Parts: sequence; C-alpha cells; structure tokens
Amino acid sequence: MTREKTGAGKHLSELLMNAYMGIHGRAAEGAFVVWGAIIVPPEIFRGFENVVLCVPESHAALCAGKGVGSEECLKAEALGYSMDLCSYARIDIGSLSDGYQDSPTFGLPRPDLLVSDNNNCSLLVKWFDVHRREMGVPHFILDVPFCYGPQQEKDLAYILSQFRDLIAMVESMTGETFDEGRFREAAHHTAEGVRQWKRFMSFARHRPSGLTVFDSFVQMAPLFTSRGTPEFAEHYKLLADEVAERVAAGVFPVPNEKYRLLWDNIAPWHQLRKMSERLAELGANIVAAPYTSCIGSLEGSFAPFDLDEDTDPLWHLARSQNHSVCPMGMDLRLAALGSAIEEVGIDGVVFASNRSCKVFSVMQMDEQRLIGEKYGLPTVMIDVDHADVRKFSEQSAYLRLEALLENIEAGRVG
Amino acid sequence: MKNARAMIEQLRKGGKPVVGCFPLYPPLELMHSMGLLPVVLWGLRDSVSDTRDADRHVQPYACSVARQLAQFVIADGPGLLDGLFFYNACDTLRNLPELLREGIAGSRRITPPMFRVHVPMKEDGASGYLANEIANLIKALQASYGVSFSEERFARSVSLYERARRLCRRLEDAVAEGVLTFAGFSAALASANFLAVEDQIALLESTLSDCEGSITQPSATRVIASGILPPPPVICDLIELAGLRVAGNDIASMHRSYAFSPEAWGNVRDYYVAFYRDHFPCTTLLHTADRRVDAVVDIVSSRHADAFVFVGEKFCEYEYFELPYLEQQLKKSGVPVLSIEVSIDDDGSAETFRTRIDAFAELLLGREGRHDA
Repeated sequence: MTREKTGAGKHLSELLMNAYMGIHGRAAEGAFVVWGAIIVPPEIFRGFENVVLCVPESHAALCAGKGVGSEECLKAEALGYSMDLCSYARIDIGSLSDGYQDSPTFGLPRPDLLVSDNNNCSLLVKWFDVHRREMGVPHFILDVPFCYGPQQEKDLAYILSQFRDLIAMVESMTGETFDEGRFREAAHHTAEGVRQWKRFMSFARHRPSGLTVFDSFVQMAPLFTSRGTPEFAEHYKLLADEVAERVAAGVFPVPNEKYRLLWDNIAPWHQLRKMSERLAELGANIVAAPYTSCIGSLEGSFAPFDLDEDTDPLWHLARSQNHSVCPMGMDLRLAALGSAIEEVGIDGVVFASNRSCKVFSVMQMDEQRLIGEKYGLPTVMIDVDHADVRKFSEQSAYLRLEALLENIEAGRVG
Repeated sequence: MKNARAMIEQLRKGGKPVVGCFPLYPPLELMHSMGLLPVVLWGLRDSVSDTRDADRHVQPYACSVARQLAQFVIADGPGLLDGLFFYNACDTLRNLPELLREGIAGSRRITPPMFRVHVPMKEDGASGYLANEIANLIKALQASYGVSFSEERFARSVSLYERARRLCRRLEDAVAEGVLTFAGFSAALASANFLAVEDQIALLESTLSDCEGSITQPSATRVIASGILPPPPVICDLIELAGLRVAGNDIASMHRSYAFSPEAWGNVRDYYVAFYRDHFPCTTLLHTADRRVDAVVDIVSSRHADAFVFVGEKFCEYEYFELPYLEQQLKKSGVPVLSIEVSIDDDGSAETFRTRIDAFAELLLGREGRHDA
C-alpha cells in the first residue's frame, strides 16, 4: 500500500527546502554559520540576529533517506575512516570531501564555529574534531554529565555555565550582543512546537493508531532545521490538526492494525518506505519509538516538560539536556520505555541493534530481557544500521519481524 | 606471570579493600592514600578464557576491553573486588555499570559498591566542577569503607605513583636502547597493574636492575607502537622477529598513562584538575585532541623512530576517528605507518598479521637514512 503525501507532508517538504535554502542564502550574505550537534540548543543561536545553525547529523539522515548514504560513506572510507564508525559521521565527512556533489540540500555552508556535545555520544566530539582540523575553525565542546538517575543540581549548574560560555564565545566571534528577547521568543516558539509534537504523538494511543513511527521519523526533520521559529510551531500544529481530522474521519495509516509495535533505536532511514509498507501488509504498525517520543521530555520519561512564562528558558534548556535516550542509563531508559508501552498499548517490541550507534544499542540485550520479563511482551532483536544500507540484511530482519508477529499471535491464541 | 585473578586474590590477602577501576585514567593516588588498593581493569586477556557471561549483556560490537572487563567483573567481581570505580572514559564504558549489575544479579550475587566521577572534557579543566566531583568521591569512599582522607597521605601517595611512573619511563628508555624487549616491558607493566604501588615500584626497579648489564641487542629499525593496549605478545614477537624494535610507544595503558604527573599542586582537587587537564594526550580525553599529533610526532622524533605501528582495538571509535589525520600528518613528516587491527577473536590468528608486518619491515629496510640504535 503506497500512501499519498498528506498536507503536512507537503508542508514539511516546503519547510525543509526553505530552511536549507535560507541557511545557504544567509550564509552567502555573510551570516555567521554554526554547525551544531542535534542536542545543542538552537534557541541560543536564535538569540543572535546574524547567526545560522546547521546540523550535520540531520543532513546525514536526509542523505540516507534520499538513498545516497552508502555512497557518501564510501567516500569517507576512501579517506581512511573505518567502516565501523557511525554512518552519520561517515556520510557527513564523505559528502564534505567532494564538495557535497550528491547532497540533496547542496550540502551545508562552511562553518565559522563548531559546537558538539558528549551527551548523545562522545564520538560527536571526535567527529567535529575532524572538521576542526580540516577547516581550522574553533570547536566548542558542550560537556554534559551522563545520568544514571535524575539530573543533579551540580550538573545542571555546570551545563548552564557552559551555555553562558557559549553565548560569550559567539558574542566575541560575531561582535553581536546576545538578544535575550529574541532568545526567549525562540524558546517559546520551540515550546509551542514541541507541545504540538506531543499532541501529534498522542494519536499513537488511538486504536488503530493515527500514525506510524515512520511518519514521526520523517516529521522530526524540522526539529533540527527550524526550532525556535514561528514556522516550527505552525508546522507541528498543522501536523497534529491533520492527524486529528484523519482520526476523526476514520482514516488510519494501517486500518487493519493487528499488531502494535514499539521500535527501540534511531530510524533506519534507508528503509522507511519499504519497512512501513511491508509491515502494513502484515497488519503490523510500529506506532512509537523512544527516539521520537523523548523529544520535549526529561530523562526517564516521555511526559511533556513544558516551558511556562515564569521559567528561565536557559534553565529549561539545561534541564532538558539529558532528554534524549543516549545521555541516560538503563534504569531511566526502562522507565521511559515502560510508560510508552503502558500508555500507547504495545503488543511487541523491536530492538534494533544498530552498529552505528553503540550508545543506543550496547545495553539492549538487558533491556530486551527486562521488558520481556516485566510486561510479558514478545520482543525481537534485529540488526540495522541507521544510515548505511550495506550493513542491513533485509531477509534476516524480516524473518525475525515475522517471527515476532507469530509470537504475538501465539500469545493471543494461548 | 600470574593472571589478574590470581594477583588480585594475592592483593586481597593484605586485608585492604580492592577497588576495580574501569580504564583508563582513574584517580589511583587518591584511593591509595585512603588505604584502598586500586587496580585498573584492563589487560584481562589471560584471566578471561571466554566472554560467555558478558556476551549475554554486552553487544558483540563493543571492544575487547569492555567485553573482557564485563566478563571478569560478572564472573569474579563479587568475590574479588570490594568496589568498582568508573568515569566517563568512553561511551561503552559509561553504559557498562548497569549491565554489570544485571550480570551479577543473574547469579544472585551482590554487586560491589560503585563510585563514579564525571571528568570534564574541557580545555580549561572546569576546575570548580571537578573539584566538587573529587570532594564527593572522597565522601563516598569514606562512607563506604570507613576510611579517612588527609592531604599529607595523599602527597605521599602522589610521590609513590610518580616514582612508579618515572620507573616506567626509564624502562621505556631501556627498551629503546635494546636492553629490554618490548614484550618484556609490557609484561612487567601488566603485572605491576595488579600490585600495590609500593610493590609496583619494587617490581619495576627489579626489572630495571635486570636490564643493567644486559647485552644490547643489535641495531634494528625503530618503530613507535600505538593503541589502547600493547599488542598481544604474539604480535610483539612478530614485530621483533621482523627486525623491528619498539623504541617508544603511544599506548594508552603504557606511555599515555605514565608520561605525565602534575608537578605543582596545592591540594587533592588542584592535583586532579591538572592531572586531567594537562594529561598526556589520549583519544579518550576529548579536550586533548589539539595536542595529540604534536605529542606523537615528538615521541617519534625523540626516539629517532623510523616508523609508526598502530595496533587498533577493533570498535574503538575514539582511536579510529583520529587515525586518518594522525596517519596523514606522520606520512607528511616522512614517517611510514602500518595500521593493523586486533579484536577479541584474534588471539589464535596472529599469523594473519605476519605477512603485513614482514612486508612493512622490508619496506623500512629498503629506505635510506634510518637511525641505528
């Protein structure tokens, strides 16, 4: 079953095209260009009038989604980068190496500053160091302590102090003064967008689900291109409204939904359409993933972490620096997974063991066992690579996915 | 040489708590000064015949250091170790503590107490934050073991560890001079790792003393070895059989560990701010990246080395992200580079490396202007 692009889907394409073209245009006019890792808060840079932010990880995901991931990886490997390294990094390094010849966005404008962090993974720092050496631009490392329990005050204070250092660095490099008002406005645009994102995600609770995880994977892109803008909030409102209308009208992506699954890992960008269609044919729908659900939440939870009028947005951003899956330990991950399983109503869990993302994957064997024990759910582990299709065996993956569905079915019969 | 398990068993007989520290650069001086016996949990190959317990908890694409550590702690940790210490040394290691807890709980045993510090990865050392981390660690150790801390005892421990590091540097000189084999040096350090620092000093002094009067080996082509751990003994043998001498190293468990100690410091917090901020560059200390190439080129130059041999730990992304640039810069300086990769399953297949090492040695012998020892 092939689905037509929805209104929000078309709007997404326009939003992304405008965002990338906007970045190129502004860079050409002399804007200060920052390359940031995905958890580095874009709102900080929106506090400057003449600063634009690019996110290499998002560009790499787009390359993979457009089918050029492996080609870009090969270019990096030809430069000596091991095939065992993260495929996002290889795509980024490879695509830069030939001036972005195969990039669907005409690449990214040359940076004036690199800002990485080590909360998602420390390898982002190593990856951005490659660019620092190649291009001779400064590299700011946002050093975020890992969480095994709720984020501690001392760590929050440390992150906040680094945000202030980062602001001072950009001020010093650009000669522009950080505009608190612009920053606050950006933070509230983001907060509203994230609120709408959570509303969109909530339609996964409906039976049948109002969305598939593949929809939400695709719709994540503005989180890395447009955060802090009015367009960001508008887009997610449009998306949530559209899904609400479709649910009300009885239009569902997998109408004969028999199996509701949860996906644990980064999106397999090169497989979205194929996997979505093939599972739908089997009556299976992957309805949620920590990767998308964690946005706008705190560590150990998928519940919204709202920004109210009285809260300092910089504090809010620092408090949510461990929001993603990777900057937290297994107990927190399990707590978040458990709440998703209970709230969304999950029949089985797909643990996608992703060699390109060890931080996401290294503890999945215990997670799989513990989730199975606690919730009595069938689970399966499949091998994927989020962006390098050469490391994905379709046959092996579907064999296991079909076995998972059989297990769910067997449990119902029994 | 006894294996790690036997050595830790011996260590425990002294009655002091033994703290197993995750690699790479834990605050050994601090723990020692508080009456604890810290050991770094690497070099466990001989104590871990397989990784069957670890394989139930750790994905197979984690490096052998992590998998062997996991196997060792799950199988032997509760009986051998009185505590575990870890810091944010790498992404895999930071995810291990809960996996170890699960592994140990699986056999209905109790996980030893765990202690943790976040080492700032900032060029300025983030002194205030790290000072607080060290203060918290001291409190946690006091609470767990009923021990106390004093700056005087700490200073004495620092002095002992500096002495041990100085002896390591002298032994590295002995290897460069050809009076000690690199394999012998590696074995001595591997043993020393599982001794109290006072006994480390005795062992290192004895090894150094044995070198005196030894016959200098014939001149050889000089190489610098690099990696996380020293090459497995069979690969060391292949290197030496090929006529190469490891005249220096950039190995995390060796030179990167003993090359530096802070010289001027006021108290324990100052010491560790300087220790991590100014540490000899390592791929895992993210803030030292700017200094790394110069530091490696300096080793090559000061040791009059002809070539660089990188023995990569499979799946160590920290090392592999830097390798292409390091290799490029060394080659620009006229230093040939051999890169080989070892993994947990390579113990019995060292022969696969023989051809490459021999070919590299022949290439070096064919070059003009190499330095004699």
